[in-house]
Amino acid sequence: MISLRRVWTVAERDIKMFMRYKFLLIMRTIWFVAQIALFGLIVNRMFDPSVQSAVGGSYFNYYAAGIIITMLYSTAVFIGYDIYEEADHGVIEYLLSVPVSRKELVLGRSIGGGLRSFIYVGPMMLFILYVIGVTSVFQLLTALLSLFLFTFGVAGFSITLAVTIKSSDRFDILMGVTDALIVRLSTTLYPVAYMPQYYRGLASINPLSFAADLFRWGAGLEAEALTPPLIATFGIAAFFSTFTFLGIFLHERRLEGGGWQ
Amino acid sequence: MAIKPILNVIQRDFSYFFRYKWWIAGMISMNLADLFIMAVVYTNMVNRSIITDYFVFFAPGLTITALFAAAFMIGREINMEIRREISHYMLSLPIKRFELALGRVLAGGIRGVIYMAPLLATTLGITYVYTGVFPDALQLLTIVVALFLISIGTSGLSISLAVSTTSFEKYITARGVVYYVLFFCSTVFYPMPLIQSAIPQLAPIAQYNPLSCGADLSRAFLLKELLGTRPFDPLMLVDIALFALIFTLLATLAYMKVTQK
Repeated sequence: MISLRRVWTVAERDIKMFMRYKFLLIMRTIWFVAQIALFGLIVNRMFDPSVQSAVGGSYFNYYAAGIIITMLYSTAVFIGYDIYEEADHGVIEYLLSVPVSRKELVLGRSIGGGLRSFIYVGPMMLFILYVIGVTSVFQLLTALLSLFLFTFGVAGFSITLAVTIKSSDRFDILMGVTDALIVRLSTTLYPVAYMPQYYRGLASINPLSFAADLFRWGAGLEAEALTPPLIATFGIAAFFSTFTFLGIFLHERRLEGGGWQ
Repeated sequence: MAIKPILNVIQRDFSYFFRYKWWIAGMISMNLADLFIMAVVYTNMVNRSIITDYFVFFAPGLTITALFAAAFMIGREINMEIRREISHYMLSLPIKRFELALGRVLAGGIRGVIYMAPLLATTLGITYVYTGVFPDALQLLTIVVALFLISIGTSGLSISLAVSTTSFEKYITARGVVYYVLFFCSTVFYPMPLIQSAIPQLAPIAQYNPLSCGADLSRAFLLKELLGTRPFDPLMLVDIALFALIFTLLATLAYMKVTQK
């Protein structure tokens, strides 16, 4: 029987741990500012006027909403790096000795990993929502609810990879490659309509595409290029279920026994 | 200062480079994702009056992103060596500290150039197929020398960062921020007139950024102003040489100081 109180205790610990990484949080904020204030502003002027209308009037708004999703993704995957840090310092053995079941532990870590990413990205998200201008509070709340599931799913995905690979170098590289492909083959940076045919299939089932388009819909960006919100919500729910389940399954089997590199 | 010990250090770091098969595979996929996904999609979106063909425009920039990433790897290794105190072993070798430090900076630079070579060949192929232009021997030599100097400067920059922090997370975050700031304030992704029109205050930084000089120098010889790129200016080489000199000295001194602690 899973105890919600114990799940929350684990999640709370991860949130508190994350807030200690002050230097890292500052650096990530600079990264966000660079993406928006440098790349976003310049690239916005590089595109054809037809692109601007296809993305709802302003490519900058479209891009800024996409960057929020990449931020949510990149901060949620950080839980995997935490697991390696803990393995390095022998904290994993301590966590295994506390009166919390493996299921509660991984569920708490998924929720904690997702929530802390939401807490961290929250102010930037508010800023972007202010820039875009929200039109429907109902739409926005629906989108935010789905994005919660998205971040839990990403944290579960990161935990799944971390406990499967058990090598910090390989994990770092794999996350780099995954990041390069998952972000570029999604609608976070550009609409699917401008992608060559051979990329469209992958981009259409990419969880980042679902999350980005749902956030844009929630923010009130009216564009034909967006994935229908119902499909996007279903896609995110499927992603969350798959990786939370896989995370729990693998975490239970592979966490013990050492072998961390 | 003896040359042989420096060569030994370079040889050691060079042989280490090819042990990181995962790293190299990861980096190649990231670089190719930039060219064959992002640049291809942007080509369909870009205003043709600003950049005729974004894919061809970006191709020379790819060599810069590739060598930057590869040359930065030495910093990651040195950061790990300091954390795991392997640097104590390095100090026990019968090599002067200055030779050890200089050898490591140069090794990082050479690794960057070796890694970048196949991508430069890819770029030469792409620009030749699309524009029919192929640089003569002197122009090709100028490109290689410029890229080598950027690689050495980048290696120095990464070592300076690596010895400034003992935490791996802080190092990889700092690496990300440096990467984004240097690349977004450069002409690697977009031409100078676009930067001048979007953020005029950024133009002087972008103009003297060694990555801009490297990208524009390559484009000047590979595209022959076909896409409205800056013509070759000898000051570009001076700029790049200064970058290499400053960061080689800084990294050498910082490395010597940190390893003696």
